[in-house]
Amino acid sequence: MRRRVVLKAGLVLMSTATAAAIMRPVGAAARVLRGGAGKWIARETPPPVPVDPSKRIFFTPQEENLVKAIFDQLIPADDLSVSASDAGCVVFIDHQLAGSYGKASSRFKGGPFQEGTPEQGDQSKLTPADIYKIGLAEMNDHCRKMSGKAFEELPAPQQVEYLEAMEAGKFTYKTIKSSELFTQFLTNVQEGFLSDPVYGGNRNMVGWRMIGFPGARYDYRDVAELKGQRLEIEPVSISDRI
Amino acid sequence: MKTSIKKTLGITALAGGIVVAAGVGVIEYNLHRDYPMTITVASGDALKAKIARGQYVAFAADCAACHTVPGGASYAGGYSLDTPFGKILASNITSDKETGIGAWSEQQFNRAVRHGIGSHGYLYPAMPYTAYAKMTDQDIDDLWAYIRTVPAVDKAVVENQLPFPYNQRFLLAGWNFLFFHTGVFEPRKSLNPEQNRGAYLVEGAGHCAACHTPKNALGGDSSGHAFQGGTLQGWYAPDLTPNPYIGLGGQSVADIVTYLKTGSNKTSVASGPMTEAVENSTQHLTDADLHAIVTYLRTLPASSTSVPIVLAANDPRMLKGKLVFQAACMACHVPNASGIPNMIPAFAKNPIINAPDPSSLIHTVLRGMLGPQTWQNPTGAGMPRFDWKMPDDNMADVLTFIRNSWGNAAPPVTAAMISQMRKNIHADMWSGIKKPENGLN
Repeated sequence: MRRRVVLKAGLVLMSTATAAAIMRPVGAAARVLRGGAGKWIARETPPPVPVDPSKRIFFTPQEENLVKAIFDQLIPADDLSVSASDAGCVVFIDHQLAGSYGKASSRFKGGPFQEGTPEQGDQSKLTPADIYKIGLAEMNDHCRKMSGKAFEELPAPQQVEYLEAMEAGKFTYKTIKSSELFTQFLTNVQEGFLSDPVYGGNRNMVGWRMIGFPGARYDYRDVAELKGQRLEIEPVSISDRI
Repeated sequence: MKTSIKKTLGITALAGGIVVAAGVGVIEYNLHRDYPMTITVASGDALKAKIARGQYVAFAADCAACHTVPGGASYAGGYSLDTPFGKILASNITSDKETGIGAWSEQQFNRAVRHGIGSHGYLYPAMPYTAYAKMTDQDIDDLWAYIRTVPAVDKAVVENQLPFPYNQRFLLAGWNFLFFHTGVFEPRKSLNPEQNRGAYLVEGAGHCAACHTPKNALGGDSSGHAFQGGTLQGWYAPDLTPNPYIGLGGQSVADIVTYLKTGSNKTSVASGPMTEAVENSTQHLTDADLHAIVTYLRTLPASSTSVPIVLAANDPRMLKGKLVFQAACMACHVPNASGIPNMIPAFAKNPIINAPDPSSLIHTVLRGMLGPQTWQNPTGAGMPRFDWKMPDDNMADVLTFIRNSWGNAAPPVTAAMISQMRKNIHADMWSGIKKPENGLN
């Protein structure tokens, strides 16, 4: 198409639109809305259902004890905060693994399965639920063979030593790389510690209080100008009592 | 939203009817006469103009509120009025000869609208004939001309679904004897022509007293308290007198006209049944008529409510309430509670916030609301529901804080009031976080 034609067409289009806007009869809107019957009604969002901390829905009691021991070494009770299990992190991951996260619902799960580069992220066909079921069993077997004791029975310094070796990828489990299993635990304990209490972790917003995060608030106009200071804003959860 | 102004009227009126009926009701006391219908039927352009006037009368009388099911065919009836005594359905008033009123004469129409006597006998006062009685012959005649043009819809409605004895229509005779004062509106010498027009609209077609006048024990209007605010079905219809604190005295005439026309103004946004009244009725009225309505309301004697003593800012309820306000309300209602004009209500010096009865506030916080959608303000912002999100004590404290800050002062709201309202309006329970029992991880 020649340039002149394009310019002409553009001019015609512009003038038509302008004329339409000017010549439109008084009161003729694109769509007249008068309220009353037939008005647009927003779809309601279903409210979140808070996790019931009295229920364990994924782990067996043995698995739960092992996860508790691992998590409480990753986030121990100290001057900064309570332990991971006291903050509800075990409850959190138990409920997550039983739900869509555990099933990796958001992920493409068809083949082919290849190693991939680190940048490509998780390429495994194992879901988080698989990783826990298989990983915990393999870790338990390995620890018992190596030290003659279950991980949760080891004294604290030896537990730390074991986890450090896992993180460094020094152990060889049957299916899962020890370093990957370690990363899985570390990621999940952090998520449990810092996610909204409605999901079972971060009990009493302990994680948010530790780092000074105000939670599910949505207006900061009053404090937006206060740079570089600790604001001490009382955090709020999606549906907890204030 | 299932509530409507007529529905609320129906409940109290019906309550009164039953009580009175027990004593007086067996005598059918027919004190109503027919007015002479002298208007001639026009044709051609004159008829078109007449029909247009009739449609305007239908807007002013808010017929659609009950006779049109939201989303259903216009005026085909079937809207359910759930009263404590049982169910009443609004009738089909389309021109269908079998199921509507297509076979009626104008005399019959007049008897129903202004005298409360339908084809089955006495109407229940859910139909506000007590107010419509004041409408002029001309308006009734125009309305009839319009109603006859409503397309016929074949839809049978069994209006009276009340159980015995409430389903006995003759009981209404006793109620009418006490509370129904028949007679067309007479202009008052004390009012100028505009104020008289306003009085005609407010007391007649507009039937504002249905909600805004408190009711006595028998469901009749409480004498001496006209338009001083009333509570029905979990909504408080505010004081319309010029009381500057809880009435309309603090708002300019122009602001109130804007409210009736668009559903909101600088301070307020319509909620509850008033949302429907604005959408179905007041938004369609002329500026002159809206102005007349407000100038008439200005002539009412102001109610004499003394301002309560404000709660101390360091009261524990106020401190907790402030925290809840900052976390849940402030983002939209703005830190200084000035709201956003024509969209989000202000809290500071808003009469409904200071109202003695916090029902409308609790109702709105629990269930949320969709703002009125009008042709002048089609966006109609909404408020989310907080029933699942906020426990009773937090909700009580934040309302107490809002009612006692920024120059406001009003009685505190208690957790028991929130809990009761949850039951009354079938709101969800708080779905908050259960605290773990000891020994669990």
